Amino acid sequence: MGVLRPEEEAKVRELFAGLERPVELVVALGPEETAMLGARDVDFGAEATRVAEGLAELGELVSMRVEEEPDGFPRFPSVAIRPDGEDAGVRYDGLPWGYEVASLIGGVLEAGRRESSLKPESLEALASLDRDLALDVFVTPT
Amino acid sequence: MKCAFASPRVSATAIEANEFPRLAEEMEVWAVPRIVVNGSPQWDGSVPEAVFLQRVLSAAYG
Repeated sequence: MGVLRPEEEAKVRELFAGLERPVELVVALGPEETAMLGARDVDFGAEATRVAEGLAELGELVSMRVEEEPDGFPRFPSVAIRPDGEDAGVRYDGLPWGYEVASLIGGVLEAGRRESSLKPESLEALASLDRDLALDVFVTPT
Repeated sequence: MKCAFASPRVSATAIEANEFPRLAEEMEVWAVPRIVVNGSPQWDGSVPEAVFLQRVLSAAYG
């Protein structure tokens, strides 16, 4: 079974065709925390790899690779979204599935833009930052 | 994520709460999305871009 339904695949293919620069998905694999009850049969790392592979198939400018326990990844599995192969500090920790696949797709689309989709006033505020900001957003797939 | 792509000073991680229950508990995740800034839990729920920026900046500088 594919990661997306056929009609969703067609839509994502269309969106990925509009990317302005290459986007790389780096799947980081390593020891996983014991997750929720009933999830013991799920190989989260293998599934995350499958999701990234599925997305990479949908766009010429989208690629993926797998790394074993790379530096800078505190949790596994994790999928980093890298514009032009550069580490922009954007990751999805865990297996993106359900609605969260859409978040990953949104991340690829933003990474593939040469100009940010944020409003000018937001970019201005970010440009004035004089300290580092680590944003964590906890999500669930449903 | 948009903020992180737009600024080298910002990093952004989406974390699947069910897969990392210990961290989720530590960050008091009872509803999603739960926003955490520099390791400090801030608020739950989606907000407009301007409000998001304002809250994040006030958390960072507060």
